[in-house]
Amino acid sequence: MPYDVTFTRLETQALYDLKGPQAALRDWAGDALPDFPNRPNSKTETGGAALMFIGPDHWILRAELDAEDALEAALRPADAPPEISIVRVSDTLAVFRITGPDAVEVLAIACPMDLHESCFGADAASFTEAFGLRSLVTHCKGGFDIAVEQSFGPMVADYLTRITT
Amino acid sequence: MMQIPCPFCGARNESEFSFGGPVKPPRPEPEAVSDADWTAWLTQVPNPLGPVQEQWWHVRGCGTWLTIWRDTRSHDIVEGPGDGN
Ligand SMILES: [Zn+2]
Repeated sequence: MPYDVTFTRLETQALYDLKGPQAALRDWAGDALPDFPNRPNSKTETGGAALMFIGPDHWILRAELDAEDALEAALRPADAPPEISIVRVSDTLAVFRITGPDAVEVLAIACPMDLHESCFGADAASFTEAFGLRSLVTHCKGGFDIAVEQSFGPMVADYLTRITT
Repeated sequence: MMQIPCPFCGARNESEFSFGGPVKPPRPEPEAVSDADWTAWLTQVPNPLGPVQEQWWHVRGCGTWLTIWRDTRSHDIVEGPGDGN
């Protein structure tokens, strides 16, 4: 029996990989970034952009693709000082939105983390596994977003098609 | 399945990690030790019956390298990263 979930592969997102000391990144990027999340594996959101704290001195900035030009201009990756690294990685991740009554059941099988709200709150964002692949997992309204390496996109789309039909 | 404590993420499934091998003793100066000791350092992998210090890479998580003591008889992690400090 298929799971009662809906999935969509989101349009390409604007993604920036940010590394370095938080203070140096803030000095360089200024208002272009949301406030830095202070708990590991959590995110902050401002004006459609989400900043996720995914590793030591390591963040991912995610926004809609039409914000990419403005972010590129504000972040000036090529001119960044040597102690920080800003890299546009929009092409590297395929993002799937899985929603519906059984979304939590699907993720319970796909992902080894406890994704219950009490452990993985609304502002959580973490790299973990989904369907055995390295994957960035976040909540969305009514379910979860999982981002996998772009080249695995068709495979994950196939998995999700099989469980929904 | 082991739960491995990551200093950044907390306890996570073993499947998110890549094994980095046991921690070897410090590299001796080849001229200062016997050929047998030098060869042993190069080729022998620590494999005790009991606690072994090993490195793990949280490759599918936050990317941190960490060191733990794992008991080879029980898989219990007897000392996590930072526990000994
Ligand atoms: Zn970690």
